[in-house]
Amino acid sequence: MPSVEAGPNGKKKGALGGLWALLRKPSARYSLATLLAAGFAIGIVFWGGFNTVVEETNRLEFCISCHEMRDNVYKEYTKTIHWSNRTGVRALCSDCHVPRDWVHKMARKVQATNELYGKVMGTISTPEKFEARRLVLARSEWKRMKASDSRECRNCHSFDGMNVEAQKQRARKQHELALRDKMTCIDCHKGIAHTKPKGMTEEDEEG
Amino acid sequence: MIQRVLVLSAAGAALGMMQGAALAAPPDWSKVPAKTITVFYPGVSPLEWVTTGTEHGGARGMKKGETCASCHDGELDDMGKKMVTGQKIEPNPQKGKAPSIPVQVQAANDGANLYLRFSWKQPPGAGGAKMDPDNPVKLAFMLEDNKVELANLGGCWSACHADSRTMPNAKDDKRTKYVKGGSLASGKFYDLVQWRAKGKPVDGHVAEQRVMEGGKALVSAEGRNDGGTWTVVFTRKLAGGDGDVALVPGKTYNFGFAIHDDHAAGRYHHVSLGYTLGIDAKADITAAKQ
Repeated sequence: MPSVEAGPNGKKKGALGGLWALLRKPSARYSLATLLAAGFAIGIVFWGGFNTVVEETNRLEFCISCHEMRDNVYKEYTKTIHWSNRTGVRALCSDCHVPRDWVHKMARKVQATNELYGKVMGTISTPEKFEARRLVLARSEWKRMKASDSRECRNCHSFDGMNVEAQKQRARKQHELALRDKMTCIDCHKGIAHTKPKGMTEEDEEG
Repeated sequence: MIQRVLVLSAAGAALGMMQGAALAAPPDWSKVPAKTITVFYPGVSPLEWVTTGTEHGGARGMKKGETCASCHDGELDDMGKKMVTGQKIEPNPQKGKAPSIPVQVQAANDGANLYLRFSWKQPPGAGGAKMDPDNPVKLAFMLEDNKVELANLGGCWSACHADSRTMPNAKDDKRTKYVKGGSLASGKFYDLVQWRAKGKPVDGHVAEQRVMEGGKALVSAEGRNDGGTWTVVFTRKLAGGDGDVALVPGKTYNFGFAIHDDHAAGRYHHVSLGYTLGIDAKADITAAKQ
């Protein structure tokens, strides 16, 4: 327990100042190796713990633990090909909505803390409120996806890996046009996992 | 002798005057190549729907100049199934109605007339109410001279609108096909010709509104049903009057056709996508000189 003592200017230090002084003081009791080993071990525990918590927030169960997601977007998504398909590959909420690489993931998670404010304020707490906000929310996500060149789509999909010959005629044609015009996935694939918002304009559609 | 010459001269002059119409003789169809064009049940897909990207993803392709056929001509039966059963854009599903009908289309010309032959197997009837009790079958085709907006991509679709009669949002029972900004004077119109199982054929046009008369180009439209296979042959002068698209060798025209199958009326027809018809010119369907 750090003691409260007088500083050089005669003022008394607080508890925080005492802790800071203790931390700055060289250890006379433990060897550098011990300190390093302990720091390393504690670091692993903290880092692992932090990442575990972050990954926990990427789980489907976490996303639908709030009724706002469970009753609206989740219900729609379970009727789409990203939920159930011939090959059994499922894309969860975070696969599309959270970047995989650490830097972008952390930036997105920090940004997502805004959603806690929305939760507390009940911004989309009823189906009516959600419908009223759906276009704004969708536009925000489309903008993010467009800005990243549909990075999350491309975690699984790529033009290189695409066999257009195996596609239906209209998909083949659209993908040929998309390649030619250097378009990105979200330019066309809006509303593939959730209902398109009411009031969506042609400008929204064309991205 | 002089008398004989006079008779022959008179006969020659008469023949000359009758050129075109009376001398029109369809070619030997067995020597004319046939193209299979599938007509399909289109549900409620007026031009306004087709060109709205939030409803129809292909609107983007159309803005880039792609034809409807470039995306859809291989899946017309699937599309027809979705619409006829009400799975998509059809609030009034047509149980038992054929999703699509493959039609053999042949075309030829003889320098004076265009000959068009359509042949298809009568699909099973739905057995529902007869919307047009007089006509079990009607077949209409439209021609357009590259002036109506989007007719080069979507054929007849530029004449099909959300407020036309029998559409869910129709307010006026007399509103039929029309071309936005269309007029005979500007050349923005479709030439419309229809054969009916009963009654006279129609030679009209579609501009500000649909007009089922006034055309001068149609010579004849004849159809018959041989053991369940319908064959309809049109003979039409290349030249024409008001409301007729004058056909010139070496040129191509936008072309589409529709079958009102099983006593259908209004929008409940089977339609083709847009194609090109060439008069001695390379096109989706070429009417070569015989």
